[in-house]
Amino acid sequence: MCALLEVRNVQKTYKMGKVLVPALQGVTFNVEEGEFLAILGPSGSGKSTLLHIIGGLDRPTEGEVLIDGINLYKLGDNKLAEIRLNKVGFVFQFFNLLPRLTALKNVELPSALADDSEKESIDKAKKMLKLVGLEERMNHRPTELSGGEQQRVAIARALINNPKIALADEPTGNLDTKTGQEIIWLMKKLNKEKKQTFVIITHDPSIAETADRIIYLKDGLIEGIKEGREYEF
Amino acid sequence: MNSKRILVMAWENMKQRKLRTSLTTLGVVIGITAIIGLASLGEGFRLGIRERLQQGFELDVLIVIPGSFTAALREPFSPEEVDNVRNVAGVTLVAPVITLPQGKLINEEDRKLNAFTIAAVNFSELSQVYSERFVPIEGEIPDPEENNTVILGYKSCFLNETTQLVHVDDNVTMEIELLGLPQPIKRTLRVAAILGKSGTPGITNFDYWAFIPMGTGLDIVTKEAYNIIVVKVISAEKSEQIAEDIEDVFENPYSISILVPTTFMRQVDRILNFVQLFLMAIASISLLVAGIGIMNIMTVSVMERTREIGILKAIGAKSRTVLAMFLSEAVLIGALGGVIGAFTGYGASYALAYVLSGFMQPQGDQLFATPEQYGMTINPVFTPEWTLIAFIFAIVVCIIFGMYPARKAAKLDPLQALRYE
Repeated sequence: MCALLEVRNVQKTYKMGKVLVPALQGVTFNVEEGEFLAILGPSGSGKSTLLHIIGGLDRPTEGEVLIDGINLYKLGDNKLAEIRLNKVGFVFQFFNLLPRLTALKNVELPSALADDSEKESIDKAKKMLKLVGLEERMNHRPTELSGGEQQRVAIARALINNPKIALADEPTGNLDTKTGQEIIWLMKKLNKEKKQTFVIITHDPSIAETADRIIYLKDGLIEGIKEGREYEF
Repeated sequence: MNSKRILVMAWENMKQRKLRTSLTTLGVVIGITAIIGLASLGEGFRLGIRERLQQGFELDVLIVIPGSFTAALREPFSPEEVDNVRNVAGVTLVAPVITLPQGKLINEEDRKLNAFTIAAVNFSELSQVYSERFVPIEGEIPDPEENNTVILGYKSCFLNETTQLVHVDDNVTMEIELLGLPQPIKRTLRVAAILGKSGTPGITNFDYWAFIPMGTGLDIVTKEAYNIIVVKVISAEKSEQIAEDIEDVFENPYSISILVPTTFMRQVDRILNFVQLFLMAIASISLLVAGIGIMNIMTVSVMERTREIGILKAIGAKSRTVLAMFLSEAVLIGALGGVIGAFTGYGASYALAYVLSGFMQPQGDQLFATPEQYGMTINPVFTPEWTLIAFIFAIVVCIIFGMYPARKAAKLDPLQALRYE
């Protein structure tokens, strides 16, 4: 059986003026279904670039990414958008909610984009908000929510279309320690209860410690892989 | 994402920026107001002019003359030619006319009447042809015809509203100078009737005419040679065809002229049409300016919402969905502006018509004029076609000008857009 996510020799080189800057220099690993993986590395290690490439947001210079057996970068832009819509859920460091939409509308959005009926997407969005514990605040706009609440909305939005894999880019990076911890707990809970696969990137070892497995990234290369410990929460 | 939800989203977005949306829409409203206002005003103007012209012309009456209106190219018409015209299919009535040159009418106090044309006609024929115009306000049209009578046009005996030179049953002296005779021929005629004011400046304005019975006329000129044949046809629509058929009964159709009011009307209509289109083309410029306003605002809006577009694309919106979202806003602005503009356009046309009608009232002391006769009122006309065209035009302009910013939004790279601050 092949893995849910296969990253094969992914390289990415940026062009800064006339200088080529290597961000990723050949990264290969797999993620199994239901896994909670952390990619740990200092800033500039290429971890964000890697996450974007895994999620179909950025084309690699070399190498392949397969999600559910689909080779992402053989697809055109439209098909890639469909992958982002249906197979991947993104959680960003700065939440990236649409400021003018309520929490409910924000969560609904991917469902609406996937052509669900209005009723269907509202039902799903309410369910998702309940799952992240925000059903009370669903009619609030992002500016009326705390950072932790905004990130919960973002998680609900990421998961509404039942993605194969949820990708989180420094999900706690913009939160205080306690709130950050709660967000990690929430993701761990969803991982346990819904068997939701997560890949999170972080520069914080204590966050990475909570994962099933940690990939250490440095200078665009995998420095090591460590099986995490069972985390009690 | 289905189009209804995209529209709802676009609408929500527009509501969040009320001032901006209303100002952008205002541009469209002004453009559509100008177009629809001018269209309905132009249509009203055209109808007004047509109505005025119809008062001057009976559309189902043709006038046949030898030669042109300024020069006789041939002999007057013979009785046979009149009969030939009478027999053309579609001709319902024929009234031949002999005009008597160099004639004058003098009343009992030796004052000359303003009868510039004296015409020998068959009274009953002419009153059938011009059933609305050949109507006396004083006296009666003699039936059967009675020799040595005269029917006077209104202004030939009224110098103004109060000064009347002759009355019914007065006698007038007619003097006709005929070529080759040393003395003018004199006749004493009884005034049988005075016609009402024709009022309109049409070609068949009888106000300065005097009509004598054909018998009396023939007694003077002795030869049945008609200068005018007045022809009533079965309908105005067929008048042009019948005019062609009438031409064909003459040996040399080029030697005669037929005045076909319908043709004239059509020409006038064409000119009015052109003027209206011209005005609307000018009005359209304002809509184009509105379009540029939309492009301007949307380009700014795309820049402001770059991050939002990045988010949308990152969570899986396709380029065409983003395109549709922005275009929907343009379409909504167009539709909204179109609907409001239609109302304000009609409002504006009524306001303008009111003002213009004031200008078209008679100024000062026109000869014998009364406001009902010379003043013109314009009633704007609601034209569904123009409304629809203007509405579609508004949306099309918005789509065209919204296309550039919408495409710009759609083409944004999601990652770069996400990093945009």
